[in-house]
Amino acid sequence: MIRAIVLAFLLPLAARAQLALFAMNGNIEVPIGASLDLGKVAAGDASSVRIRLRNTGPSKADITRFSADGTGFTLDRPSLPFPIAPGSAQDVLLSFSASMPALYSANLQVSTSVNSVSAIVLATVVVGPVLTVFPACTGSDGPPPSIDFGRVQAGQARLCNFYLRNASTQEMTIATFRVTGSGFQISAGPKAPFKIAAGETAVFVITFTANAAGLYTGALAIETRTYVLTGAAFDTPLPKPLLEFDAGPIQSAQQRRLTIRLPTAASVSVSGTVNLAFLPDTTAVADDPAIVFLATGTRSLPFSVSQGSTNILINTQTSAVFQTGTSSGRIRFTVSGVSTDGDPTTMLTVPASPVSLDTATATRRTGNLDIALVGFDNTYSTGSMTFTFFDTSGGTLPTGAIRADFTPEFRAFFTKAQAGSTFQVRISFPVTGDTSGIGSVDVQLSNASGVKLQHLVF
Amino acid sequence: MRSALLVFCSLCAYTQGIEVPTVGAIVDSSENLRPVQGVAGNFWLGAARASGVLSASCSERLCLAKTDSKILSATGQADAPSGPAIFWVDRDDAIAFFPETRTFARWHDDRLDPLDWTVDGEVLSMDSAGIAVRREGHVWIVRPDGEVVDWVTDTVGPVLLLADEVLFATPDELILRRHDGSELRFPLIGATAITAMSAHYAAIRAGDSSYAFRTEAGREQIFLLPGNPP
Repeated sequence: MIRAIVLAFLLPLAARAQLALFAMNGNIEVPIGASLDLGKVAAGDASSVRIRLRNTGPSKADITRFSADGTGFTLDRPSLPFPIAPGSAQDVLLSFSASMPALYSANLQVSTSVNSVSAIVLATVVVGPVLTVFPACTGSDGPPPSIDFGRVQAGQARLCNFYLRNASTQEMTIATFRVTGSGFQISAGPKAPFKIAAGETAVFVITFTANAAGLYTGALAIETRTYVLTGAAFDTPLPKPLLEFDAGPIQSAQQRRLTIRLPTAASVSVSGTVNLAFLPDTTAVADDPAIVFLATGTRSLPFSVSQGSTNILINTQTSAVFQTGTSSGRIRFTVSGVSTDGDPTTMLTVPASPVSLDTATATRRTGNLDIALVGFDNTYSTGSMTFTFFDTSGGTLPTGAIRADFTPEFRAFFTKAQAGSTFQVRISFPVTGDTSGIGSVDVQLSNASGVKLQHLVF
Repeated sequence: MRSALLVFCSLCAYTQGIEVPTVGAIVDSSENLRPVQGVAGNFWLGAARASGVLSASCSERLCLAKTDSKILSATGQADAPSGPAIFWVDRDDAIAFFPETRTFARWHDDRLDPLDWTVDGEVLSMDSAGIAVRREGHVWIVRPDGEVVDWVTDTVGPVLLLADEVLFATPDELILRRHDGSELRFPLIGATAITAMSAHYAAIRAGDSSYAFRTEAGREQIFLLPGNPP
């Protein structure tokens, strides 16, 4: 009894469910009235349209039938039955294809348990012109049908010849004949509308020209058929760039200048990136972070060259300053982002050298003699030191040469700091007695490359 | 004989730790105060110690940074007139000049004490010799009471007074003039600011680039400092 009452309430609601059919043009809903004309379809081609079924009523609609009954028509939709909530919609794909020229129709019908909507769908199959493309372009029947212009040097043109043949027994009018898309244009051939006699051929040429490297797409529309046009443009290979450096031997802790020029003028304007990388001799560190281009503190800079020029601008400047760091090894310069006529990779070798001291001082404190050293060891092997103290007359003190080995401390520091081989260290000598007679000290620092001797005055 | 009284603990040589050398500090192009680390010819900038910094100056023992409303040190801060400041940092003390209010103050123990100095002209730099001011295109050294001590140059560029020299820029050169009148000149276009980076380095701003100038006698040299990544 209760179930019967509930159904009695539900029935009027279901009866108010309303369905509306739309043909989708992009995201725009175009109402379908009594009929939907798919227009001309070339024999053997497929034509599709997205159909939207919208429930405009206040209650849920259970779709029990959704069909397109007619030769050549197919409908891609969810399995039946399926519900559509109030205000919601369901899209389906209506397709048509036939090989015999004729007018085709189908009954597009949608039903719920309480009402239904329907429309007549029409399609006209015609004999389309036959397109033939000649090398260097290549064609594909698809779907979608496409024509590839291949790879073309930027700034250069690629011309492709086409034949458009009327294979039917009647004169054919070509009303739609156009090319769209950046880089593509019809450079020779008839202008629409034009006629092709039965069995005859129209000849036309499409040119693909791109001023910059990249992938390009366009479209060739001929009557009912649209061909996707594709092409790729690449930069002209640059003459092999010459990477050059300011004069003088390469050493650690230098700021050097890189210039790049071309042996011959660039045929087109191009841009790319110059990069540096560091390969240390030692295994104590993986890298030396101070080896960078100073303009940005990075290891890559953009470069550009204008058509007709041999001078390459690096980061808009005529040269780029970089640091050689404080590690022996090799600095490798490469260019990327542009094709070159040969590998321009250039290596700089930073040779191993004895410890270099940036500043060194010797001072007296009560009970201590201090020696402060700031420098770098590009071999990462220092630590063995010898100190020879002299009196104010220059005579060697009876202590003789005092040896100390801080190799473990330096090794631990270098490994932990990962900041190149720069260091700042204070070495102290506890003393008792009057230190005023100590006038100077010779400091010897050894590393794998040699011995650095520094004389310091207290 | 004296050395006989001296006893070395020859086996006791010790280090007080090994560190990454720090050259000084600069204000980078993003208004961050950053330490400059490394050695001459091999610099990198450390992590920012303060942001929103308008100007800064450092000695070996004290580094001061001016934000819009405060002066910051490693150990404290104090309210200050708005805008940048020109500093003379000497050991643990400093004198600050605030261009927007044209007032001087002394920094000591993280406190700022006003000074009753009054100087005409554009204040460029300060040190123990006096205050460098620009008047009608000429740079003079004046005392806090306004008395003119010396003429420096007629440059329109920035000026930094050093202990024994003056460092100033023309539109296309950086010039280090010693007290004996001799000069060292370095090509540099468009310098807009010179500040003390440390006891032995000056920081120079020119366009988008920052430079370090080594001021030690006999080792004068200009270096480019790493810029900020784009």
